[in-house]
Amino acid sequence: MESGRRAVLTLRGVSKSFGGLRAVIDVDLDLYEGEVLAIVGDNGAGKSTLIKILTGVHRADSGEIRIDGEKAEITSRRDSIDAGIEAVYQNLGLVNSLPAPANVFLGQEPVWRVMGVPFIDNRTMRRETERILRERVGIVLENLDDPVHNYSGGQRQAVAIARAIFNTELRVLVLDEPTAALGPQETRKTLELIRGIKERGISVILISHNLENVFSVADRVQVMRGGRSAGVVEVAKSTRKEVLGLIVGSEDVAADAYA
Amino acid sequence: MTSMMTIEQPSRKGELPLIERYINILGPLVMILLVCLVMVVVEPRFFGVTNVMIILQDAAIYMVLGMAMTIVISGRGIDLSIGAVAALAGVVMAMLIKDYGWGAYMAMLAAITIGILCGLANGLVITKLNVPDLIATLAMDQVYRGIALVLAAGAVLARFPEPIPLLGRGRLFDVVPTAAIIGVITLAIGYVIYHYTHLGRYAVAIGGNREAAILTGININRHKIYHYMLMGGAAAFAGILLTGRLNAIQATAGHGFALHTIAAVVVGGTVLFGGRGTMVGTLVGVLLLSMVTNALVLLRFQFFWQLVASGLIIIVSIGFYSYLQRRRTDRAEE
Repeated sequence: MESGRRAVLTLRGVSKSFGGLRAVIDVDLDLYEGEVLAIVGDNGAGKSTLIKILTGVHRADSGEIRIDGEKAEITSRRDSIDAGIEAVYQNLGLVNSLPAPANVFLGQEPVWRVMGVPFIDNRTMRRETERILRERVGIVLENLDDPVHNYSGGQRQAVAIARAIFNTELRVLVLDEPTAALGPQETRKTLELIRGIKERGISVILISHNLENVFSVADRVQVMRGGRSAGVVEVAKSTRKEVLGLIVGSEDVAADAYA
Repeated sequence: MTSMMTIEQPSRKGELPLIERYINILGPLVMILLVCLVMVVVEPRFFGVTNVMIILQDAAIYMVLGMAMTIVISGRGIDLSIGAVAALAGVVMAMLIKDYGWGAYMAMLAAITIGILCGLANGLVITKLNVPDLIATLAMDQVYRGIALVLAAGAVLARFPEPIPLLGRGRLFDVVPTAAIIGVITLAIGYVIYHYTHLGRYAVAIGGNREAAILTGININRHKIYHYMLMGGAAAFAGILLTGRLNAIQATAGHGFALHTIAAVVVGGTVLFGGRGTMVGTLVGVLLLSMVTNALVLLRFQFFWQLVASGLIIIVSIGFYSYLQRRRTDRAEE
């Protein structure tokens, strides 16, 4: 690794078991400033568990997490948000019956107080949502007041990302299978979104099954297999075949599968 | 990224026709109109001042209950204990006034405090002991009812000082029925809670997508407890209104409050399984149900037939909305 780059997030020897199932075993991970790191692997390879440890949903049994070189205790969602890590989950985590602004600010609504009693400031939320979508995500939504169940897949993705990045202290954005449910055109737009986020200095961890997407947007790829890290490769110096080999555990098998 | 993207709107075919968007309100409004039409023909006394007052007084009680129930149901909860809470609060207030010489206002305050504490107990049982909302409040209903029965020891307590009768059946300045004022104020409070406070917003979030609510860092248990405390306080206030309306209270009062209130809320368009609710709809649902039960009384149907009617209204409305919901998902998958 180049020594000049600064690691935003470092994991050392992180493990997690559920009963007898060892979901994540002794995993190291480095995420550098302003890069897109893809995490790939089969179902059950430990990707989701690893992400849930980062975002405070699960707590690691052992190992350490460092953010900007400082040891971090991430025991709840709140801890992870405070540490500048946000995630967009596969199911986007939107409340369908609420409009975009309510979703973007859910859990962190701006308020105005009348005699100490907080009231949600819907007007500010709407204005800010419009601005965040325009300036930081690069999207204009016309139907901002509609409940999000009336939105298209791409629009919902944009709202979910806007919610993740509106936090100005954000250092790390985790995207879990962002293109899984999208058509080709919306996938292309989502990849553009990811490049845009990276340009704004936010480090991205991208979980994906789709090697096409990974190779078009990621800087490095970390492969998970059976709960362990099977290797890290740089996209510029690697091939899909090599990554596929790491995923299934053998160059030969990969060659067959790819043929 | 310099260029601005636009993501196209979903296609028109996925969108609901205008009428289906407003059917939540339109449905019960049409039914109100039907009830009025029938009553014009068969029993014009329905529209007399005395009878309208009776309907309003009934509706005021259910509006207070329905406002809080809209929040509880939006948060994917349900409260079956509200009848017993209302009775317990009413009995305690009555005894404080009659047996202990308390002033009316202090006794009312005590009643509402007891209601909030009952709600707190419900909330704790549901969130800390992990008892499902339905079972928890059904069991707590018995607990509160039992306590009320023990306290009152079979007595009917009657004749209370102002402002209790005024709240239940009076007219402000001898003109405006207090019930109407209470209904309007309750609607306003409910609307503000629903759209402008964390209490309402998080109820929708918890009911609509529990996982998402947890992931955004919302303390779900604490908010569920708040919902039930609001419900408890509202039930106690309904108990005060009921006491004032009859100028009497007994421990068996408020029977059937829960089902009637849930029916009104669901008829108004709040989804029984959480995530979506409407305060205006609840008002319309409350008015419809109060009118129907009153019409049944005027038409000399037995009380027992009224039970049949409100039961059927619940089944029909929930069945109808599940049908609408199914059509909606079918379309989305087209």
